[in-house]
Amino acid sequence: MYKEGSYYLDLFQVTRQGLEELVRAGIKDGGSYSDLFFENTTYHELLLRDGIVSSGGFHVDHGVGIRVLKGDRTGYAYSESTDMKAMAGAVKAASMIAAGQGGGDTATIYPDRERSVGSGDASHLRNCQMPVQQKADRYPMVKDWRDAEAKTLVPFMERLQRTISAKDPRVHKVIISLSDQVSDILMFNSLGELTFDTRPMGTVAASIVFTQDDRIENKTVSRSFRTGVEMLTDSLLEEMASEAVKGVDERFAAKRPKGGKMPVVMGAGASGILLHEAMGHAFEADFNKKGQSIFSGRIGERVCREAISIVDDGTIPGNRGAVNYDDEGVPGQKTFMVRDGILESYLHDRISAAHFGVTPTGNGRRESFRYAPIPRMRATYMLGGNSTKEDIIASVKKGIYVDQFSNGQVQIGEGDFTFFVKSGFLIENGRLTMPVKDINIIGNGPQALADIVAVGNDPKVDDGAWTCGKGQSCPVSCGIPTVLVDSLTVGGE
Amino acid sequence: MLTAEEIRIAENCLAKALAAGARGARVTLNKSLMELFGTLNGELDKVSHCLDRSMSVCLFVDGRYGTFSTNRLVENELDDFIKRSVATVRMLAEDPCRELPDPSRTAKNALTGKELELYDPAYPDLTSDERLRMAMEASIFKNREGDGLISEEGEYSDSIYDTLVMDTNGLRCRHTETSFEYGVEMTVKDSGGNRFSGYWWDSTSRLKDLSINDCGETAFQRATAQIGPVKIPGGKYTMVVDSENSSRLVTPLTAALGAFSLQQRNSFLIDTLGKKIFPEWLDIWDRPLREGRTGSRLFDSEGVAARETPVIEKGVVKEYFVNTYMSNKMGIAPTIEDVMRPVLEPCVAPWLERPAAMDRDGIMALVGDGILVTGFNGGNSNSATGDFSFGVEGFLFKDGKIVHPVRETLITGNLLTLWGNLLAAGDDARACKSKAIPTLAFADVDFSA
Repeated sequence: MYKEGSYYLDLFQVTRQGLEELVRAGIKDGGSYSDLFFENTTYHELLLRDGIVSSGGFHVDHGVGIRVLKGDRTGYAYSESTDMKAMAGAVKAASMIAAGQGGGDTATIYPDRERSVGSGDASHLRNCQMPVQQKADRYPMVKDWRDAEAKTLVPFMERLQRTISAKDPRVHKVIISLSDQVSDILMFNSLGELTFDTRPMGTVAASIVFTQDDRIENKTVSRSFRTGVEMLTDSLLEEMASEAVKGVDERFAAKRPKGGKMPVVMGAGASGILLHEAMGHAFEADFNKKGQSIFSGRIGERVCREAISIVDDGTIPGNRGAVNYDDEGVPGQKTFMVRDGILESYLHDRISAAHFGVTPTGNGRRESFRYAPIPRMRATYMLGGNSTKEDIIASVKKGIYVDQFSNGQVQIGEGDFTFFVKSGFLIENGRLTMPVKDINIIGNGPQALADIVAVGNDPKVDDGAWTCGKGQSCPVSCGIPTVLVDSLTVGGE
Repeated sequence: MLTAEEIRIAENCLAKALAAGARGARVTLNKSLMELFGTLNGELDKVSHCLDRSMSVCLFVDGRYGTFSTNRLVENELDDFIKRSVATVRMLAEDPCRELPDPSRTAKNALTGKELELYDPAYPDLTSDERLRMAMEASIFKNREGDGLISEEGEYSDSIYDTLVMDTNGLRCRHTETSFEYGVEMTVKDSGGNRFSGYWWDSTSRLKDLSINDCGETAFQRATAQIGPVKIPGGKYTMVVDSENSSRLVTPLTAALGAFSLQQRNSFLIDTLGKKIFPEWLDIWDRPLREGRTGSRLFDSEGVAARETPVIEKGVVKEYFVNTYMSNKMGIAPTIEDVMRPVLEPCVAPWLERPAAMDRDGIMALVGDGILVTGFNGGNSNSATGDFSFGVEGFLFKDGKIVHPVRETLITGNLLTLWGNLLAAGDDARACKSKAIPTLAFADVDFSA
């Protein structure tokens, strides 16, 4: 939800001239590029526990991150004050990189051609102009979270708790959290690009404990969108409540299967987390720049079957991973990492794009002004194929169908991944039979990608509150159609 | 590090909260500074300077409760911040269980912040040039470039943290700590182009104790040792977990003893207090009062005084972690909100002979054959049931000697069963970790591969 540029300048109490002075100071000792990232974020949180919303609060975070590059190298500092004296001190700290030892290359940061108003040469700053803002705002707020009082949000939480409890007598405890944040962002760099953005995020999560006889099971459901208070609809409430109690019978009946190597069918939607962890990270350009990724040096090569295309997309309106601009001021976009089975692109920030001599892909993201941007995913998903879910399951003689993962981890270099399966089913002779839970599947990302032998026609992006950790947190989303991986290791009895 | 002016502002916030109608309030003032020098393949790659300052306020208003924070420590903005905070709390439901801790339980001995000897007086004299020199000299890239090393990422960093907690009952606790750390990740490539990574690090509160120059070679050895992995047949193996990774198996136990999990019945250790659940040779203590030890603290986030206490003693559960709120809610006595510095004592199952060396190699020799786990790769445990499944990496060993690396391997089971099969715990907990957990050995662990 954009406001006028003057709103952001006033908020941070800076002027265009002051911004130019700061970036000029950043590169005067030999830096090749400098940028500023101003952020003012307001967070609200409410927690329902034991039937009442009895705790909550808000948090304010305000500051500016200052980055100076010399070639591939990064100097970074931040200030929680945006007065010129404090910012000048941070610029001085960040520009130490320009005085540091070591020669190294001096790849140039390429300006975005459509919005470029100068080069890395500081002299061009005198003539810089306001870049064109993104015309189609991907996350307009009808009702701003910052204007919403707790008393207007509490009823939604109470209704959600009551609705979940009413749907299943085994519901023992329900915790509902409602959190929102709105960030006003202003970015300026030594190319003269001035960019601003207002980024909302609303998240509702329900954690439920079920009891049956003396046994306990738990489940968590969440929804997160870049939108305003208007996301709190009756349909969202009903959708979450239904999902909260879905599959509880199976969960109590579930057992651990016998482990071993077997075909694994990934259910559409949330199974996309495997795509994010096991393959997506290996496509991030910083890992490839350092030669650490298994995909290093493989652009243009076939990495999987022709039926498979994988994208990272910052353009889905209201999606948790949507960006109008990334955190370097590069427009959000849709990037094909794999198209028709061929590795087409890594995910780039400005540094890696300069290193590889390509255009940035809008993946330079950061947790807050306290962190320098690095290549990060947005909404990562696989495009749909031709098979139906039913046909894919029917093609498996003995294997596992997974419909909910809880978390996963990958080793970027080796490509090895592990995922914890919260719920799923055994597949026996093409039919879903015994429910399974609390098992891991393990495999190798590139190998698993190559072993995908069927892609469903039901692509789905999951709207859960996914957060990627890579030294710093970043909101993302993920998705996948139903897919069949020919062979993975399943942990079991 | 905190200035007199910042402390005065925080004190004023307590007064402002009471004036705005709060019955009680707690203010926590945090300030930290981190300097970081990162290298890539022996050359300077990044420099960071991070100064953080924030204030969080817990408000108790008309039987209601809320938490608020800001990093805008500007006097006139804080007036509005406190007023809005109080107004927000008034919109929440009453909860009579919310209250400040009893003053008789709060710490009285954390006055300067430096009582635990975790502050290095040499810190203020450390210069950027010295930091840069340490980061650059730690690199071994040039020495190992011809040995398959394709990437070396090193980071030297140091930090100072200063925390002051005050409340309207007169609480005033301070903790000041310096930290010096070096970590390095090596990536090597085998003849087939497969990549293997190894990481090693050290951290200490005093610079003179930092073992910086051994990290590169250790990380390189950990990376190259993984070349040529072999998939093992699934089945039951004896498992040894090295001291770099063993805390992963202790954290779910202490989490299950937390009142937040117990109150929600989302814990596999419900109703275990005072009962013998684990082998009688297992002792885990919370030892947060040890001077100079990583993880030591004199107080928790409420200001409640830390104490040395058994968590599990001779296999008996001795402690739940219960803060003031959960104490009132559950009707049980309060303790401390969470384990602070768990220490797992060395032990050997009674049918085994205690080895001369209680380190990793000594424990492997003790148990003979099995799998040495040197890394976890994802997985989870079910907090309600204790069922777990973790991805692991490591080595097959026979007669106490490593045979070959293993990968794409899972361990599966239940935490109560796993700990019931504890064979031994070493005396080699890493001093740089806040959880002092040594090498551990367990019998009959299910491995899938």
